[in-house]
Parts: sequence; C-alpha cells; structure tokens
Amino acid sequence: MIALAEAQKESVGDILEEPVSASRINLFHSCRLKFYYRYVLKLIKPVNSALHVGKAVHYGLQEWSNRRWLGKPSGVEDIRESFLTHWKTSLDENPVEFLEGEEEAQRDKAWALVDMYLRETPIPMEEKPEAVEVSVEADLSEHGLPTLRGVIDLVRPGGVILDYKTAAASPNEDQVLHRNETQLTAYGLLYREATGEKESGFELHHLVKTKAPKLVVTRHKPVTDKQKSKLFRSIESYLGGVEREDWIPSPGLQCAACEFFNECRGGVL
Amino acid sequence: MALTITATVSKKVGKPNYGSEGFTLTVQSEVSNMDQVREESHRLYLLLNESVTQELEGSTDTPSKTGEWPKLVPATPTSRVWRASDKQRDLILKIIDENGVDRGDVESLSLEMFSTSNLQELNRLQASGLIDELLQRYGKKSTRGTTPSGRFNGRTTR
Repeated sequence: MIALAEAQKESVGDILEEPVSASRINLFHSCRLKFYYRYVLKLIKPVNSALHVGKAVHYGLQEWSNRRWLGKPSGVEDIRESFLTHWKTSLDENPVEFLEGEEEAQRDKAWALVDMYLRETPIPMEEKPEAVEVSVEADLSEHGLPTLRGVIDLVRPGGVILDYKTAAASPNEDQVLHRNETQLTAYGLLYREATGEKESGFELHHLVKTKAPKLVVTRHKPVTDKQKSKLFRSIESYLGGVEREDWIPSPGLQCAACEFFNECRGGVL
Repeated sequence: MALTITATVSKKVGKPNYGSEGFTLTVQSEVSNMDQVREESHRLYLLLNESVTQELEGSTDTPSKTGEWPKLVPATPTSRVWRASDKQRDLILKIIDENGVDRGDVESLSLEMFSTSNLQELNRLQASGLIDELLQRYGKKSTRGTTPSGRFNGRTTR
C-alpha cells in the first residue's frame, strides 16, 4: 500500500497552491507527520466503524435540514427511512469491516443519536435554514495568503453558523471555543465573504454518545479581529512548515487513535 | 478562451429650433464561454440604454459646485448584476440550458429556499445551495456528502 501511495505522492508546490481549510491547518499543527501521510503521501485507510457512525449521524441531520428547507416531509419516520437507506448504500460504496453483530449495534447507536437530536434540538421544525452543508471559499490573496475553503454544516436565519459534533463524552464548555477556534474563525470569514454580512454568532451542537445519548449546545460570539489575526498567523505558519517540508511528528495521547500509527512507528518518512 | 463582447447604444433626440442631440456609448466586456453571451449582452444593453437615456434626458448627476463629479456607485442587486460569483452564475445558467429546465421552475425553487425568485439577488452562499439542489435534481450525482473528497467536488462558491 505504501508503494502505491508513493506513486501518487503530491508535490509540496502543488499543496501550497491548493486552498487551505481549517481541518488541514488543525491537522498540520497537531501532527505534521500525520499531515504528510494524509495529504502528501495520500495514504488511504479503510473507513473504520466509528468514522462510519459519525458520517451516518451527520447525514441524518443534514437530511433533516434539507427536507425542512425544501418543504418535504421531515418527521422522525421520514428521516429514519432515509437514514437506513443511506447506511446501506454508503456501506456498499465504502465497505467497513465490522465484527460479528457489530454493524447492527453501530447502526442502532447512530440512529439513537439522530433520534435524540430530532427530539431535543432547539431548532423549530418550521425554521428555514439559510444554507445546508454549503461549500464556501474566501480569497485571502490581499493578505498574501491562499484561498480559504470550508463546508458549513448549517446556517440558521440571521447568520447563525452551526456545526455538528459527535463526541464520546460531554464537552468541557470552557475548552470548546479554544479547541474549535480555528474552524469557527474560518467559517465566520467564509460566511462574510459569501454574503457580504457579518455572522451573528456560532452554535456547536454536540451529540454525546453516552449510554443515553444527549445534546449539548454551546454558543459563541462572532469572530473578533484578534481571532482573525490568529487564524492568519496560523495559516502563515502552516505554509512555512509545508514549504520547509517540516514533517516532524508530535507523539502524544492522540497517537492511540491515529490511523497512521504503524507507519509512524515504522518510520515511513 | 475569453470572448470579447462590444456593445454600443446610440440615441438621438430632437431639440427646440430643429436641433438635435445624440449620444453614443460603447463598452467592452469579456465572458469565458458562449453560454454567457446572451446573458451578458442583455446586461450590457440594459446598462447602456439606461445610461444613454439618462444622459439625454439630463437626469444624471452633473458636476457639483466644487466642480467634482460624484463618485461611481457600484451596481445594486436590483440591476442585472449577479451577487453570486461569475462561476456560480455560469453554472446555474449552464444547468438550466443543458437540461432544458424551465427557468420559472428554478425561480420557484429559489423562492422556496431563499424567499426570492430573483436569481440575481442570491448571494454566494445561497447560490451554492441552489446549485447543490439543481445538481441533485437535474445534473450530476449530488455533491452533498460528508467525506472531504465528496464535499467539494471541484465546486465552491467562488
């Protein structure tokens, strides 16, 4: 697999010309070697069950928003039917190796999260979104930076930018903004570029995968000049690191769940 | 390859004592493909016709007491200028054209999604949402997805 990936290796010059996203920036700053495996070597790993569950939950919520937007039936049973169909078709397209009986358990776990959200969401059923799963770009060339790109989960009326998170445990509300600052700042700038208006704030809807699933909503203020400046410095740092081909790993707790653990241990660099 | 459109509007109006006054305005604009020619021609004609008529009717601003001309004001969304990006405008028109979609249906969809049937009023965020839905209904396989590769699919709001 590594030899195959080497054949598709992307040049640093190409990467520097590509748009940047919050996920790329965050990945680079959390572990440069992981960034190298994913975006330079382009190593492809099979989808694991946790990722499949996360995507399925995301799909269910997106389907609910889209249906409300277009005036289609969006009751729990309508969403469940779409969710189950999508679960099957996405597995056909990207197979996941489940253990015996695991698929059904994971599917039920994913649906339980969506079902809980539909019951507990603060979003009124009749509310029409401004945008659902929308890709946006912002030209940052006047700042000497590449194009910024992102996909916003949902924009509520009045310019409230919403992102869905699935988490194993309840989020520490004091740390939520700190951990998501790059993403929210990027989304704020993207929204401004796309609409010519300032976002009114952010909502993070955390779907917590506890035994009894629960929803935690955290609300955050619009992007400040300081946050914007921090994002630009972070992008500059990213560009400098990629240009230097600085692929130094950052060993830590996150390695336990890293899909490139074996490559890292084996020193594929 | 960019295509250049040259548009000219010329008008002459009668004046007292058998006089007349005429005004000719010519502008050039570029489009990236033939699909955009009709739309751009229409936009230029409306712009030039309005400007020439206003000049001849004497309704445009004249130099102020300080001798300075007023600054140009960018076109508003109510004119023929799209608020969406050129790429988005081209894609929307292309989907309509290539699939033989009734423009009225697209305007109805826009009304349902954004409470306006005027496609030119859609900002980049809204245009992106409309394009997604048009592709879902009439075009390629949906670009909606949650994987990084599936999300962008070469199409964004710019």
